[in-house]
Amino acid sequence: MLMHRKIFAIAMAFAAVHCGILFAGFFAPYMPSAQHREHAYARPTKLHFVDAQGQVHIRPFVYPSVPVEGEGFQYREDPSSGYPIRFLSRKSDGIHLLAVDSQADLFLFGTDGYGRDIFSRLLFGGRISLLAAMVATLLSLLIGVAAGGIAGHFGGAVDAVIMRSSELVLALPWIYLLLAIRGSLPLHVEPTRTLILLSAVIGAMGWARPARLIRGVVLSARERPFVSAARGFGASEWYLLRRHVLPQTLGVITAQAVTLIPQFVAAEATLSFLGLGIGEPVPSWGNMLSAFQQFQTVSSYWWMAAPLVALVAVSLTYFVLADALHQAGARINSGQSYA
Amino acid sequence: MRILDYLKRRFLHAVLLLAAISVLTFGIAQLAPGTFLDEMRLNPQISAQTVDSLRVQYGLDQPLPVRYLRWIASAFAGEFGYSLAYNMPVSALLWTRMRNTFLLGTTAMLIAWSLALPLGIWGAFRPKGWIDRGNSAISTLLLSSPELALGMLFMLAAARFGVLPTGGMTSLYSEQTGFAVADVIRHLAIPATVLALVAAPMLLRHVRAAMLEAWNSPFVKAAKGHGIGNRRLLLHHALPAAANPLISLFGLSLAGLVSGSFLIEVIMGWPGLGPLFINAIFARDLHVVMAVVMLFSVLLVIANLISDVLLYAVDPRVRAEC
Amino acid sequence: MRKLAIFSLLAFRAISGIDSYASSAPAPERIQRGEELQVSSAEVGRYGGTLVVGQRAEPKTLNPVTATDGPSREVIGRMMADLVHINRVTQQTEPALASSWKLSTDGRSFTVKLRQGVRFSDGYPFSADDVVFSFRVYLDEKVHSPNRDLLTIGGKPISAVKIDDHTVRFDMSQPYAAAERIFDSVAILPQHLLLKSYEQGSFAQALTLNTAPDTIAGLGPFRLKQYLPGQRLVLERNPFYWKADRDGHRLPYLDEIAFLFVGNEDAQILRFQSGETSVISRFSPDNYPAMAREQQNRGYDLVDLGPSLEYNFLFFNLNELPPDKFQQISREQPWFRDLRFRQAISLAIDRRSIVKLAFGGRGVPIWGNVTPGNKLWINRELPHPERSIPQAKDLLRSAGFSWDEKGKLLDLERKPVEFTIITSSSNAQRVKMATLIADDLAQLGMSVHVVPLEFRAVMDRVFQSNDYDACVLGLGGGDADPNGDMNVWMSNGSTHLWNMHETKPATPWEAELDALLNRQLVTLEYKKRKRIYDEAQALIANNLPFIFLASPNVLVGATKQVANFRPAPLEPYVLWNADELYLRQQGVATAK
Repeated sequence: MLMHRKIFAIAMAFAAVHCGILFAGFFAPYMPSAQHREHAYARPTKLHFVDAQGQVHIRPFVYPSVPVEGEGFQYREDPSSGYPIRFLSRKSDGIHLLAVDSQADLFLFGTDGYGRDIFSRLLFGGRISLLAAMVATLLSLLIGVAAGGIAGHFGGAVDAVIMRSSELVLALPWIYLLLAIRGSLPLHVEPTRTLILLSAVIGAMGWARPARLIRGVVLSARERPFVSAARGFGASEWYLLRRHVLPQTLGVITAQAVTLIPQFVAAEATLSFLGLGIGEPVPSWGNMLSAFQQFQTVSSYWWMAAPLVALVAVSLTYFVLADALHQAGARINSGQSYA
Repeated sequence: MRILDYLKRRFLHAVLLLAAISVLTFGIAQLAPGTFLDEMRLNPQISAQTVDSLRVQYGLDQPLPVRYLRWIASAFAGEFGYSLAYNMPVSALLWTRMRNTFLLGTTAMLIAWSLALPLGIWGAFRPKGWIDRGNSAISTLLLSSPELALGMLFMLAAARFGVLPTGGMTSLYSEQTGFAVADVIRHLAIPATVLALVAAPMLLRHVRAAMLEAWNSPFVKAAKGHGIGNRRLLLHHALPAAANPLISLFGLSLAGLVSGSFLIEVIMGWPGLGPLFINAIFARDLHVVMAVVMLFSVLLVIANLISDVLLYAVDPRVRAEC
Repeated sequence: MRKLAIFSLLAFRAISGIDSYASSAPAPERIQRGEELQVSSAEVGRYGGTLVVGQRAEPKTLNPVTATDGPSREVIGRMMADLVHINRVTQQTEPALASSWKLSTDGRSFTVKLRQGVRFSDGYPFSADDVVFSFRVYLDEKVHSPNRDLLTIGGKPISAVKIDDHTVRFDMSQPYAAAERIFDSVAILPQHLLLKSYEQGSFAQALTLNTAPDTIAGLGPFRLKQYLPGQRLVLERNPFYWKADRDGHRLPYLDEIAFLFVGNEDAQILRFQSGETSVISRFSPDNYPAMAREQQNRGYDLVDLGPSLEYNFLFFNLNELPPDKFQQISREQPWFRDLRFRQAISLAIDRRSIVKLAFGGRGVPIWGNVTPGNKLWINRELPHPERSIPQAKDLLRSAGFSWDEKGKLLDLERKPVEFTIITSSSNAQRVKMATLIADDLAQLGMSVHVVPLEFRAVMDRVFQSNDYDACVLGLGGGDADPNGDMNVWMSNGSTHLWNMHETKPATPWEAELDALLNRQLVTLEYKKRKRIYDEAQALIANNLPFIFLASPNVLVGATKQVANFRPAPLEPYVLWNADELYLRQQGVATAK
């Protein structure tokens, strides 16, 4: 009972995150590609509750920021007039949860090198990145489970062929194939098509590792007493694989899943470099993260780590969720194996 | 006898696999747009005629099969092809760098496993304890951080505190000091740590998952019921039961010895195969790419063979197959 | 355990106290009678010490005849010398191995007097034979030297004839305006070491990184000491070098230069900041603020040398394409070919923002192919039209474009104007420029997509397949002289990017440009030549085959220890006067 309540709580957190991302247009104060060129590399906007007169406001307000002359991108607050945050305000492009008057800016997580609001980009970018990573994880695990399961269960020539092809997949310089794929595509690819392409490519490359892991477990699992017993009762091999052998790989699969999702999100940055990722100005966590691998951003613009923080937070909810599901599953599973 | 037959069969498979990899790599590289000479084309001071005559000289105008056969011939002659960028046989470029990459990879792998094993086992032993929670938070953080960002952070710290060098493998004149080994260890510290931190979370997750499963399995519970001590329970019952996926992982990380450190090598100036390979990929210096891919493939084949044999040795149930 | 601790402590100290392990560089040779030394006007320094330089990539070769990559040229340039050298600061020529030269009255032959008593870095005397041999190698088609094209004038290679041991005459098929500049960076090779491999046809393999140091010799201030694959390359003093300071001490001052291969620019910066390297040559403007912040407490100086010769530009695909193969692009090309369309785009681009956001303010907007960094050749009269969206819209309207009710730009067939800009993903600044341009052009109602591709994929599209709409690239950085860029502007040039493989000028203005460029090529007097080249620049700026964007400043740095540090906006930026550089404090002051 306690278990279920916990899963429920985690699922709620999970839902909240995805809701924010799904309804990015509502939660984000700005369009993700809107450039505020006078405010490039601005720090997160400070929310104030106490004004210059020492008066406390329940509704937070912000001061407009003005560029400081000199080296780099420096700004200071202009405390002469404050602008309150408006909730649920209607703008030309729909209703926004948070907004301020156009004289001031509301950059909750600061801005990037074009003066684009990182918070808004994070919400919009999460859509593509998380979806692509999840689909890719699903795809590579599906192929991995099928390949590893069949190889391990049936053994012999089937095993040899599948495992050698997994080695082939691991060894080939994919980068050239990706460049070739990019070359055969039209120059401009719509974000939705990019999404499908991304997940297909990542999924197709990522199955070899899980396949090896699962094959190892299956090799052992199919010789368990209860599997042999079922075989003795005349169950077909396919049935055995599906019903008795693969459930035992659940631990490996969940462990793989939670490690693959964040990795795949980051992998998109590499694909962007080859021209296969989400191109500017459309945001994705991958291309936002790739900015955070440069000396200048890491050393000067710490707030550009926001996608990293978001990815960690989301991955943690996945991890806890997967763990809880796995434990619940293991309970059912072990009950079954006794039966 | 059976094991000898098995090894013979695997060897045959390996040869076929390597042949397939070499043909496919050659073919795929052909599909990628651009050639080695493109950078010269953009230089206004070099004429198109010069570039074209270089193309002929390098044999890039020959049909694919001819080029492939030339490469094969050169590989069997021990040169592994000719690097267009360096104007020398690939073999001259390969060996020192391979040694350096192995040094870094092995160190990192040792650190990663010696972090992941105890932490994962402890996490399974006391799930939801503070160590376990700490593990999962930190490993999620590490899994989500791009390798390069992590490397950059460590290098920034090194540049700030000045205790460890910011990159490279040896100091200037270190060979004159008599402390050459200590010097290499000092240089090894940061890249090996970063690589270990990149690899460990995945291992940790699997160790924990496998141990948790083993720990909760009926036979360990039964053994527990018989009053067997935790230590014995762990070493003699749970660990062997959990070994299966770990062995496969071990095989994969063995195979990763060559390729796993490439990016870190580039940003930390480690004189391994990484900078050579990545530059060669983007420069389309095909024979260098081929040599490194083949090296990696050989290692992969060996690593997978080792892990299969280990699987066979450790898990009695697997033995039914061979 | 304790023993180990003490040991490691010792080891640590031994390594950090590395400076006490003196390099084993040879002392400079005594100056002999009859040796015609060149006297440097730089401040008198002191001998000793190692200059440590971080290089982004490892040099690929030590062969001056075939090297094309930056790191190799940076190293080779320190080991080799040329006859006539371009002073990187004044951008003018000055004597090097040639103590003097004379152009014949018909402008077709150069007579060069060589310095007396010069020796190679292995002690072997240098003579006219080495010069003749070197030019034979450079001009040999089988060697495939990229320098060959520069030494080919009017379709014919120049020829070198030995007059006596210290006089060489160079003959050209036509008068040549850039004159003695062509000798810059043409390294004079040691015939005694290289003749054999040249005659055997293995010249390309003669000077690789694996060649033993004692079989390599040059006339530069340094010679090879050690190469560690992937790690570093160390040069040591050439004890026979042919320059001395004002007090008669033979240069160079430095015992050694160590080039560390650090991997990329970020690593280069970190190694410089941590004090592991002593100079940093040309870093990107993005990194300037972070570097400047640490300037005080880390003891280095940064120098902004002002605009470089690099010009970044946007260009459209104006190639003649088979219409069946590239339907989409062929449909767009009428826009691209319309000068008013290109003018409108140029007017809509916010160059100030490009300089600010892509170069962190350390650059200049440009409207022509010669940047303000090229003081001798820039046409200062070129107009700099201010950004104006209304004017741009007027131009588009006059060209027959219109807008729909949503503000989308439509062409004459009332189809929306939509195209892509490709650029190399490895150059963050150019990706930024393209992204900013796309945003600017949205204000004209154009829908522009930025597609960053891998560098060679971009090259393939521009040079081979011609499958692109528009592209952002950058050129320049070599020589300040107009002749270096001839292949870009001549309609049959091999880097005539917007329209490759033109057999004859595709437009009247291109024909005019060809004529101008050919005229400046044979005009010997600077003032006349400059007037012609000004005209050429105006022609280019008016017809916008390239829409010029911005030029980044050259940013370099050195620790305070490095003296005689006089960086220049031309390659190799900081090491061009490596023979005069010295380290304060460190080293034994044998010179004083």
